[in-house]
Amino acid sequence: MDVLVQAAVWFIGLFQKGSEVFVGLVTGIIPLVIVLLTAFNALIALIGQERIDKIGEAAGKEGFQYMPLRYLVLPVVAVFVLTNPMAYTMGRFLPEKYKPAFYDAAVSFVHPPLGIFPHVNPGELFVWAGIAQGVTTGYGEAETAALAVRYLIVGLIVIFIRGIVTERITAFLWARRAG
Amino acid sequence: MQGITSLLERIGRGAGKVVGILYQAGRESIDQVVKNILPFMAFIAFIIGIILKTGVGDVLARLLQPLANNPIGLIIMSLIIGLPVLSPLLGPGAVIAQIIGTLLGTQFASKALPAYIALPALFAINPQVGCDFIPVGLALGEAEPETVEVGVPAVLFSRLITGPIAVIIAWIFSVGL
Repeated sequence: MDVLVQAAVWFIGLFQKGSEVFVGLVTGIIPLVIVLLTAFNALIALIGQERIDKIGEAAGKEGFQYMPLRYLVLPVVAVFVLTNPMAYTMGRFLPEKYKPAFYDAAVSFVHPPLGIFPHVNPGELFVWAGIAQGVTTGYGEAETAALAVRYLIVGLIVIFIRGIVTERITAFLWARRAG
Repeated sequence: MQGITSLLERIGRGAGKVVGILYQAGRESIDQVVKNILPFMAFIAFIIGIILKTGVGDVLARLLQPLANNPIGLIIMSLIIGLPVLSPLLGPGAVIAQIIGTLLGTQFASKALPAYIALPALFAINPQVGCDFIPVGLALGEAEPETVEVGVPAVLFSRLITGPIAVIIAWIFSVGL
């Protein structure tokens, strides 16, 4: 009988632990995310789609000097305003040869802002929140805030590099295909 | 008198519009929380609960530890996850990245991993981001079929180079964490 009781206690303990984790996540993350999401959803509704389209048209131009516009400004604005997955529709303003590189830059930016701007991709919050929650528990709120800012900055650098590298590889594959 | 009424009307209309937008924004955010965030939290809480209670987490963490606690290991992790054969399979819903991230999170919570590992780790678990979605993403950008044929391998190969580079840049930026 004792064994049965112990087994039952252990079994329910599996889920009690889970419920503690759940309560921690809900009270720790959800309230802030709701308020932030509301603020940014409203901001995006006020800015409107038309103004974003103009940046897309400028970013499609030929030339080296448009690279930062194409693989930094456009993906950031697209992800921020249109969010995942509608951000990729901004590729329609670019010439075909730049589209893969733009997609690469844009899709790589759907996680780095999550620590500060969770509205860009709330469905995949835990790419950030999984690690962030642990850092908060172990090292405190301030450390997590520093991490969030750095994640965003490194993300900007990485998407720019990705855009350039993927543009080069696309050109190489395209030339080989034609030849 | 007419001036005043039209002014009042304009103020009322403007306020109504702003309140409408804010209310709609609130509705959308609650929708996103209920549809996307809460289900994932339920799923994560269930998995983490079992992992913590059964000790499976310790075993998994011990397996990940040699990769996760140093720069070379994290670069190797990003290379494995970024392999062109694996990356499209690991991409969907970012589920794998979210689970590995949460597992590593438990290691940061217990201070088994130092805080400065967190930044490079965020990039090491995610070189496959969007690799499952390339044809759809390009189609959303109204790409020609030929662009999709070239673009899919271009992005996949690019990740093999930029995945480890991202970890290295993150490593440099983690100074002082």
